[in-house]
Amino acid sequence: MTELKHYFAPTSLDQAVECLKDGDVTILAGGTDLTPQSQAGRVKIKHTLMNIRHIPQLTGITLEGREIHIGALATITEIMEHPLVRQHLPVLVEACDHFASDQIRNAGTIGGNICNASPAGDTLIPLLVLDASVELASMPEAKLYRHTMPLSTFFVGPGKTRKSLCELVTGVRIPLPEQGHVARFFKLGTRPALDISTISIGVAGTLRDGVLSNARVAFGAVAPTPTRAAQTEQALEGQRLDAATIEKVAAIARDEVKPIDDVRATAWYRKEMIHNITKRILSHVAQA
Amino acid sequence: MNVAEKKARVIEPDSLIGKRIPKMDAPEKASGRTRYIHDINLSGQLYGKILRSARIHALIKSIDVSAARALPGVHVVITAADIPDQRPIGVAKDHFPLKVGRVRSQRDEIAAVAAESEEIAEAALKLIKVEYEDLPVISNPEDAIKPGAALIHPEPHGADGSHLHLKQGMSIAHKGKPDNIAMRFDYVHGDVVQGEAESDVVVEDTFKLHYVTHCCMGVSGMIAEFDASGNVLMYSNTQVPFLHKREFAEYLNIDPARIRIIQPPIGGGFGSKLDIYPFEVICLYLARAAKRPVKMLFTREEEFLASPTRQPVLLTLRSGCKKDGTLTFRQVHTLHDNGAYTSWGATTPFVMMQTFSSLYRVPHCDYHTAAVYTNNPYAGSFRGYGNLQATFAIEQHMDMLAEKIGMDPLEFRLKNAQDAGEVTGQGMSFKSCGFKDCITTAAKRSDYARKARENAANRDKPGNIKRGIGMASMLHVGGGAKIYPSDGCGTILKMDDFANVTLITGASEIGQGSETVLSQLVCEELGLPISAVTVVNNDTAITPWDVGVHASRTTFIAGNSAIGAAKKAKSKILAVAAKKYGTAEDELDLRGGFVIQAASGEVVVELSKLLRNLHFQDKAELVMTTFYYEPPSVHQDKGFKGDVSAAYAWGSQVVEVEVDTDTGIVRMTKVTGAHDVGRVLNRLGIEGQIEGGVVMGQGYALTEDLLIQNGVMKNPNFRDYKLVTAPEIPEMDIAFIESMDGEGPQGAKGVGEAPSICIAAATANAIANATGVRMFELPFTPEKVYRALHGQTPKLYWKPWKAE
Ligand SMILES: Cc1cc2nc3c(=O)[nH]c(=O)nc-3n(C[C@H](O)[C@H](O)[C@H](O)COP(=O)(O)OP(=O)(O)OC[C@H]3O[C@@H](n4cnc5c(N)ncnc54)[C@H](O)[C@@H]3O)c2cc1C
Repeated sequence: MTELKHYFAPTSLDQAVECLKDGDVTILAGGTDLTPQSQAGRVKIKHTLMNIRHIPQLTGITLEGREIHIGALATITEIMEHPLVRQHLPVLVEACDHFASDQIRNAGTIGGNICNASPAGDTLIPLLVLDASVELASMPEAKLYRHTMPLSTFFVGPGKTRKSLCELVTGVRIPLPEQGHVARFFKLGTRPALDISTISIGVAGTLRDGVLSNARVAFGAVAPTPTRAAQTEQALEGQRLDAATIEKVAAIARDEVKPIDDVRATAWYRKEMIHNITKRILSHVAQA
Repeated sequence: MNVAEKKARVIEPDSLIGKRIPKMDAPEKASGRTRYIHDINLSGQLYGKILRSARIHALIKSIDVSAARALPGVHVVITAADIPDQRPIGVAKDHFPLKVGRVRSQRDEIAAVAAESEEIAEAALKLIKVEYEDLPVISNPEDAIKPGAALIHPEPHGADGSHLHLKQGMSIAHKGKPDNIAMRFDYVHGDVVQGEAESDVVVEDTFKLHYVTHCCMGVSGMIAEFDASGNVLMYSNTQVPFLHKREFAEYLNIDPARIRIIQPPIGGGFGSKLDIYPFEVICLYLARAAKRPVKMLFTREEEFLASPTRQPVLLTLRSGCKKDGTLTFRQVHTLHDNGAYTSWGATTPFVMMQTFSSLYRVPHCDYHTAAVYTNNPYAGSFRGYGNLQATFAIEQHMDMLAEKIGMDPLEFRLKNAQDAGEVTGQGMSFKSCGFKDCITTAAKRSDYARKARENAANRDKPGNIKRGIGMASMLHVGGGAKIYPSDGCGTILKMDDFANVTLITGASEIGQGSETVLSQLVCEELGLPISAVTVVNNDTAITPWDVGVHASRTTFIAGNSAIGAAKKAKSKILAVAAKKYGTAEDELDLRGGFVIQAASGEVVVELSKLLRNLHFQDKAELVMTTFYYEPPSVHQDKGFKGDVSAAYAWGSQVVEVEVDTDTGIVRMTKVTGAHDVGRVLNRLGIEGQIEGGVVMGQGYALTEDLLIQNGVMKNPNFRDYKLVTAPEIPEMDIAFIESMDGEGPQGAKGVGEAPSICIAAATANAIANATGVRMFELPFTPEKVYRALHGQTPKLYWKPWKAE
């Protein structure tokens, strides 16, 4: 049972953030996380249930200067099929392709994936290695206030973010990758469809003359949040990807992560997989 | 009048047997029109919900339902205290529907509510207060049989600690048990000591089989209603309506004649609906108390928590053979985790011992099972009935023995495989047997020998993907199983004035396609199209007796019964026609809706016209027949010996895999099967049955794993309980061996369970072929495989309690 008293479906961003002011609001986007979580009693629907799906400002995927902007309501399917994303951000397409099933991809949104803040959220790893930032909107006074925050600082724990109760995520911004940019994503699960990641790995950087710079490495499902791996990135930075370096970096990655045992896998297996898959991805990148 | 017109019309011979006939219920199901129990609502109906235990093993100190009773919209709240006439239920009569004084597992039923809506019933459950006193939890069967282990069903003691003297013949639920052993099975033929002495090589290994559950897409449910005279009407998904009618009557302490069971279309059974579960009896109690119909439907989570599982087994197998490849003996000990109560899972040894004693010729066989109580979920019957577990062990040993004596595994299998005409040590008599054909066909079509050789040679080459191929074979009952006093099925057949047939059969349809195949058999006799048949099969007040849908028996038993009724109708029709047209009966036949001259196919009369003539005359008559078929099988004796089935089904399956040594992920790429099915009746139906069974076997082998820790189910949901999804389903090449069984309907044998039996065993052999590593514990999830490949899996050994 819920405490739901009120249902609200704003048609503008202003109406939405205004409604959020008192904080006693549950935001509904695609509902693919919210529905099972509230039915299982893990999440309580608050006083007001606000359906944000009718807010035009939250939709669309556009090129704005040197950034790609993805509206919070963009579904996984839309992202996967969008020409801008396919051209500039193939690593995000890769992650979307391994996301749930067609039905869920048609309903689930990127805003929902970000705000659900699962350590295993599949778009989060590519977004992290692409240096994405989150766009937030609120109405502290009588006026709409917007600001952005690097995604790498956004997550604080499973289901917990730095977003306040009065804020709405309006979208993500991703800088256009430069020449020589390479990025890879790998999701490991028991089966190819409809699976929560046992671990996931994203690697990105600029590859020039066999040397990797601006190295970005992110891991999913090995910590309370999806995280960048600072030591692994450092070990990669400015390196030529030969077999010895790859082996060394993979070993550092294994030691850097601190996963837990759960129904999907033990910590030991997760560490092994971080090692083996990091190695596999880096070998692929080296051959790119 | 020209000459052509004068010539009589000729109907060419045609047959429905072996054709691809769409299932009769498919259009309704595919278009979403089928009305399952979920879609049935009776006026005045209340909604029932059950409060389950918050503890795994505990004494119930008190239950307070006052707040729940006071909630508006609640009609009835019951606990054991409200039902003084509760009778123990289950295969061993070891529990009450509503638990009395003690809970023994997570699913245990404490109280139940009937209310005006599901939401109110849910809210009422939350208001029930229960005080517990925890008891030690036994979650491991090895602990449960240790001397001095805490008892799950202790004998009752008085307040002073003295034994309460209870009457003889009382059920376990009343008198308890002095140990945790729920059931024992001991079987022997020959002398294993002698067998071992004659052996050149002996292997011994322990195998561990896990919990999986049926995952029927339609969750469990029931609607119960008492009429003004106290008669009971139940809408139930049972697979055994006639047995349950009797059993429910016992639990309600009323005459079975007052119970009527209607089965709505059933959303999956696979054996899960062979036993009566507490929720069904509780639903009846609620309806009786409320004097209103009560509907109870499980949530998906409840379906996981409170429906039965496949039997988990710990098994130590010792096998031997001579250098020339002759099998000498097998010795088997198993520990069955019975869970807190006894359902059909405990009786899987009936089937398991058949595989050990009779799949291959083995002169000496010794089999022992102890099914022990724990605080875990309890296992029921599940497609294959222990045979997946037994085959997993035996077929790995076949490969291992062959390797030890340096013999080709195919040759080794063929040398020991059964033939038609053999009577096994267990007394099974193989009248038709296509086993050797199955082995050679599956091997040939999959190119087994070449691939096995090449894979083994490529094992140590660089690269993380290793290919493997493995084979396993099975024996299963294919002509019913004589477990109950009768293994029969009745048919009533009626024809109308338009030569349409109503086939009233005792056999239930649970999605397996029985309606279609039975109609086909009847039409084959009567020379009618499938569209002429209406099947009535779901109401105990109408249909004749049948023992139920189990043991792969429906096509065989109900098929023979339907044919019997059709033959009687046919001979009546032909007799009438012969008299009317002045010929002999044996010169006539039925074909294409006509009575014809058997020799020429020339039309004598339209069948519907003949039927109308018969009906609308002075001595009016209808064509209505009945038939009861009882298979010529026998009950086993006390030593489990006897020819329990009228026919036996055989099959061999070859599984091909790719093992990723970096991750442990096993991809099943191809399954090649050869099944001795007697004869293919409905090709479309049998292909569907085999494909579905293969996928079920694949889930058992690779992904499905119901995780139980300290009695708590960790993954009662489809997110973490991983069924196979469409992209993982392997390519399949299925061949049918038609051994034309003499007793089978049109030569057919049962095949319902067969296709799921070999997959796990063949997968184990394929992984060994790919990697050189043997795995003895299911399922082969990525982490388990990865551990095994990296030497992180300690060798499993369970020392049998009586290893002679
Ligand atoms: C069967 C199944 C399979 C799944 N498989 C995957 C998978 O493979 N990979 C994966 O990553 N996830 C998976 N998920 C989880 C889920 O689909 C995704 O996280 C999805 O992106 C959530 O988006 P949504 O729009 O449905 O979010 P909702 O359920 O609508 O919302 C999720 C949470 O975010 C909040 N929220 C949503 N939008 C905003 C916003 N704009 N501003 C502020 N707060 C907001 C909501 O209040 C809620 O707390 C699966 C879910 C299901 C049911």
